Amino acid sequence: MENKTLEKEKILDVKNISKEFPGVKALNNFNFDLYKGEVHGLIGENGAGKSTFIKLLSGAFQPNIGEITISGETHKYLTPHVARRLGIQTVYQEDILVPGISAAENIFLGTELIDSKKFFVSYRTMTDQANTLAEQMGITLKVDEIYERLSPSDQQFVKILKALAQKPKVLILDEPTQAFNVKDIGLVIEMVKRISKEGVGVIYIAHDLEEIIEVADRITVLRDGRAINTHDKKLEKYQPDDLAKEMIGRPVDLFFKKKESPVGDYIFEVRDLKIKESAKPISFRVREGEILGVAGLKGAGRSEIARAIFGAYRKLGGKIFYKGKNITPSNPIQAVKSGIALLTESKKVDGLFMGLPVDHNITVVGIDSIGKLFLSLGKERKLCNEYVNKLNIKTPSLNKEIRFLSGGNQQKVVIAKWLFKGVNILIVDEPTHGIDVNAKTEVYELFTELAASGKSIIMISSEMPELISLSDRIIIIRNYEISKVLEKNEINEENILSGFMGGN
Amino acid sequence: MSNSKEIKQKVNGPASIVDKLRFLNNQIVYLVLVIIVIGVAASVLNQNFLTLRNLLNIMQQISTLGILTMCMALLMISGGLDISIGNMTGLLAIIFARMLLTGKSIFLSVIVVLLLGLVFGFINGVIIAKSKVTPLIITLGMNYVFLGIALIVGGGRPQAITGQFQFLGQAKIGGIVPVAIIIFLLIFIFSFLLRKYTKYGRRLNAIGGNPLAAYLSGINVDLHIISIYALSGLIVGFTSLILISRLGMVQADVGANFALQALAAAIIGGITFEGGKGSLVGAFFGVLLLGILSNALNIVGVSSFTQTIVLGAIIVVATVISNIGKMRR
Ligand SMILES: Nc1ncnc2c1ncn2[C@@H]1O[C@H](COP(=O)(O)OP(=O)(O)OP(=O)(O)O)[C@@H](O)[C@H]1O
Ligand SMILES: [Mg+2]
Repeated sequence: MENKTLEKEKILDVKNISKEFPGVKALNNFNFDLYKGEVHGLIGENGAGKSTFIKLLSGAFQPNIGEITISGETHKYLTPHVARRLGIQTVYQEDILVPGISAAENIFLGTELIDSKKFFVSYRTMTDQANTLAEQMGITLKVDEIYERLSPSDQQFVKILKALAQKPKVLILDEPTQAFNVKDIGLVIEMVKRISKEGVGVIYIAHDLEEIIEVADRITVLRDGRAINTHDKKLEKYQPDDLAKEMIGRPVDLFFKKKESPVGDYIFEVRDLKIKESAKPISFRVREGEILGVAGLKGAGRSEIARAIFGAYRKLGGKIFYKGKNITPSNPIQAVKSGIALLTESKKVDGLFMGLPVDHNITVVGIDSIGKLFLSLGKERKLCNEYVNKLNIKTPSLNKEIRFLSGGNQQKVVIAKWLFKGVNILIVDEPTHGIDVNAKTEVYELFTELAASGKSIIMISSEMPELISLSDRIIIIRNYEISKVLEKNEINEENILSGFMGGN
Repeated sequence: MSNSKEIKQKVNGPASIVDKLRFLNNQIVYLVLVIIVIGVAASVLNQNFLTLRNLLNIMQQISTLGILTMCMALLMISGGLDISIGNMTGLLAIIFARMLLTGKSIFLSVIVVLLLGLVFGFINGVIIAKSKVTPLIITLGMNYVFLGIALIVGGGRPQAITGQFQFLGQAKIGGIVPVAIIIFLLIFIFSFLLRKYTKYGRRLNAIGGNPLAAYLSGINVDLHIISIYALSGLIVGFTSLILISRLGMVQADVGANFALQALAAAIIGGITFEGGKGSLVGAFFGVLLLGILSNALNIVGVSSFTQTIVLGAIIVVATVISNIGKMRR
């Protein structure tokens, strides 16, 4: 970080760029520059235009006006090929690697690093080179392991290494820490700093303001497609509050304080649920109006447990009760009938209908409430608009196909889908992934409201502040077992972390 | 309608040809334009094209294909496909003819044919829903099964019911409008309403769009898949009745080309293999285009061989155009 001033060489200069989609100005006269060896953070609300901007740089989209200067060459637009040639590499959130081959093979897939004169690929060389690369970046990675068997955070490392193998001048990371456990986020930050020290310019997008302050030398705030401000770490000190205010356009309270409401009797029970032969069966109960936090590391089995309760994952044994009645669902159809909802983690794969419009996505489960024999499209539109406003979903219209919405806004639609249905037990799996600070607060308020109205929420989360401020109780999962239960007065960060490790 | 911002004019920039062609994305507008162009050209070349008689004639000719296209469109919207509907039509028509020829009443024969259609579709649906094998393969196999049974039932010979059961295929309401057209339009309206205004249609749409998400939303995916294939089978039953009533005589392979033609019409109309996409109005115009085109080519005197080439080319052009939006992301 120290001697950056010495090498103040601009490698990227984006001037007056605009990008319009039907009904939205995603970028409006946006300026951005990047120096050699710096990390330039990009923040903004959901739908502010961050992903659009990096897609312009990677050549996936072309701007309507403006120009992009990189390594001295000025272009009106880039194509994926030109972007690659100029040394721009992007790590998207969506998985684009090949699941069935090794990490090393993925890293060098389609690169010149493999000796191109030879017809046969030398796995030895590839593995060696992958190891060297990982070492340089200060991470330990089993490079000959099959990609899909790696932990989510190792998979993310592979993606970054793959980009690095191309020897980029500009490296773009879109929310790179989403797949990580709290304690591993530090590793990514270290790695990114190391990459920039090697002279690569890094563009870093994140919703976590503390994280971006830590990693970035400069931060540009984007609101409604315009650059609001660019902060420089060397020239000023700034806090998350300052950034949030610029993002949203008004002061926001980053620390959500839950309005406590009384909780009722136990109404929901999971008894002796077993999904893994070697693990002890799981039993817990949830009270009316309670928010039960479910903590644990990635891969501890929390999502599988949630699916099993919902009837979408094979159970080896166990029963589910609601108000004393055995309702053990053997499939999601029965679960939904008994008033259970599951908001899954991988929304794009199993929560959303990407090709269908916003309103159809919202009403798909609760469709019974908009007509008997024939649907009332007017009523549907009216109700959907209520949810769009309530959750502040950014979309040009209700007819817009959901794949055109920004990541965070898609997440809000999944939440709207289940709220529209109206349920008794809401199981949510990482509900605020990819959602901006302001929207998070909105979602927390919604959950609080739901709980106050007597619904019970089971909330799987990897975000400490969220677990701590919302949960009435927390169960900690480790290796498919409950390793610890924290009552309200025991909830704090140390207790949760020690539960992860299996301590008491 | 909603809190949408105003759609502003595109600013100048590297608007490529792809950008300029984007308005064509609304396939229905485009189809109607093409139909009008063909219509105008044909009526200039031949006075007889734009007569009520000829137009009704076109509609009557496409009525069976049109009904099958509605089946295909509904299936494709739900993420499926049925290649066997052509030979299923043939088989049902043969069975109907055999029943009449062996002295069964028209009433009984109609009921049996409709029920069998339902059962055939149901069988397709059960195999597809339960095995999770791609519908193309399953129904391709069933296509041969139906043809084989039809050959056995009819002894490999054409079956003629000369003079009987002419109402569906040949009668005209008020001496002008053929009954077949009315049935086609009714089935079109039924499919349109089912798709757009019922919960059932919405769920089919969702299943076509993302079956896993539909399952995790508590939709009974198997039940919906099985029932839409069964419904399609029932409609195929009606088609076979209209067909035999119009022709008076059928062979086992009478419907050999029907399924692919229906598929073509649906695709021209903007229905895609992606599922959850396209509209039945589009499919309707897709059939209309095929009918008008073939009639116009006939009137102008183009040979049926050349017509086949034109049909193939149209399918290719239509699918490429409907994909324009995706050529650039
Ligand atoms: N292909 C597209 N077609 C139409 N509109 C689009 C398209 N891609 C993005 N948009 C719109 O452009 C705006 C900016 O979206 P973008 O994905 O850049 O937001 P973002 O800042 O990345 O948000 P998030 O934090 O939610 O990921 C949004 O209103 C979005 O709906
Ligand atoms: Mg984004």
